[in-house]
Amino acid sequence: MKYMILLFGSQRDYDAMAGRPGAEPAWTGEDVGKLAEFMQSWWAEVVESGEAVDAQGLTAPVHARRVRLVDGVPVATDGPYAETQEVLAGYNIVDCASFDRAVEIAARLAKAPHPEGMPDDRWYVDVRPVADNAEESLA
Amino acid sequence: MTTVPDHIEDLLRHQAPRVLGALVRRYGHFDLAEDAVQEALVAAATRWPAEGVPQRPRGWLLTVASRRLTDLLRAESARRRREATVAARTAPDEWLAPAADRPPAASDDTLVLLFLCCHPALTPAGQIALTLRAVGGLSTAEIARAFLVPEATMTRRISRAKQTIAASGVPFAPPVRAEYAARLGAVLRVLYLIFNEGYASTAGPRLARTELTGAAIRLTRLVHRLLPADGEVAGLLALMLLTDARRPARTGPDGELVPMAEQDRGRWDAAAIAEGIELVTAALPRGPTGPYQLQAAIAALHDEAASPADTDWPQILALYEVLLRIDDSPVVRLNHAVAVAMVRGPRAGLDRLDALDAQARRGDHRPDAVRAHLLELAGDRDAARRHYLAAAQRALSLPQQRYLHARAARLPAPDEPGAQA
Repeated sequence: MKYMILLFGSQRDYDAMAGRPGAEPAWTGEDVGKLAEFMQSWWAEVVESGEAVDAQGLTAPVHARRVRLVDGVPVATDGPYAETQEVLAGYNIVDCASFDRAVEIAARLAKAPHPEGMPDDRWYVDVRPVADNAEESLA
Repeated sequence: MTTVPDHIEDLLRHQAPRVLGALVRRYGHFDLAEDAVQEALVAAATRWPAEGVPQRPRGWLLTVASRRLTDLLRAESARRRREATVAARTAPDEWLAPAADRPPAASDDTLVLLFLCCHPALTPAGQIALTLRAVGGLSTAEIARAFLVPEATMTRRISRAKQTIAASGVPFAPPVRAEYAARLGAVLRVLYLIFNEGYASTAGPRLARTELTGAAIRLTRLVHRLLPADGEVAGLLALMLLTDARRPARTGPDGELVPMAEQDRGRWDAAAIAEGIELVTAALPRGPTGPYQLQAAIAALHDEAASPADTDWPQILALYEVLLRIDDSPVVRLNHAVAVAMVRGPRAGLDRLDALDAQARRGDHRPDAVRAHLLELAGDRDAARRHYLAAAQRALSLPQQRYLHARAARLPAPDEPGAQA
């Protein structure tokens, strides 16, 4: 069974990691390097155990374009998200024996490093089973 | 293959395309032959460290791969009887004798194999994967790891590429004369893409993926050995060596980008620079000058300079003008504008940018980043800061964003409230 682990973030989080002036909390290059390394080794373990299917990170919400119908015509607009609104930041799809196992994999992310003093009570990821017939559509 | 000693691994990677080429030339069935060779490589990697390398490694690999191919063809015959008859008719012993005795053919086979793997009917991703596996001798797991995708994904990608080749009925033969240049062009582009994927690593923070740059350089060396008179092959190899030479100084301790002007040139790889310069110096006077040679010549001028101030910008500008005539892409025009600025002053460069902007502005952060640099050179700190921030806003990768924000931060905002907005 496949499960998708969804990661969330806001424009503010992206800005903080990009070292944007005035962004809080400030991430140093070292902080970013540590996080990236952690994410990579977390996923490398899943690849190694044969449970990895696909993983992608998304760029900052500011790059998003929303397409909607206006008077029956599709119209694209830039950056529809408020700075603090949490949106999908990336996903990892695993193929594993049980929902519990998928949650176990996701739970290892709780050890993800972050700058000192940053509260971690905002931390969460979602794990959702993937509907069956999407089989083999990825590659 | 992690425990295989280096000398054996090198030997296997060296022999892999020759064995596969010989097998395919004689029996066709690229897809099955490729599987057979992979299995022979695995067998060798398991047995040679313990039993020692056989006296004629290629003969050994050919024997094992041929036997395996017979098995595979027989298995296939359950489904396709016609092929089975052909396979069964050929005694394995007859297959083998000539190959080991015909070393000159082996190099031709390798080249034909490369042309086959970079066939235009394949997607670029398929060309890259197949080239790395069939010619580069990398296992599927290694290629998957290098591209950070699951092995199953890479397996599908490779088998799809093999099926495409089988279905298209491309013969195992050198391309006809009329097609030759185009096919060689495709081969060089695939090698260039492999190198870039490793060098300008899009995935992963500090991992410049040296296994990919290493494979690209190794394969380009191989092509250069097969076609020593081709100036563009030499140019591409030189370009890779001259670019890769700067890698050790290109990222800081936290994986942040260090621009060339600020790199510690003592950490550049002097041997690679010397080899690259020698290659491009020998290739340039020998006839039509292609884009790889020009880029290599530009890279050589950067690498030769003892300090940023010593850089021979007039010569670089001249080379970019020639390159522009062959390749009028936005990236080349952008680099040309930088060269103009370094020779004729930042304002002249900014004028060039104005001409270019209209087309290239949307979505790309580089025109803004270059504009910011030139404005900073021109002493317009405020405008420079704004363009660094605009570039950071457009840039998609975190290291680039961090670099651009850091540049902006060096230019303090005047009394502009809400600088963070």
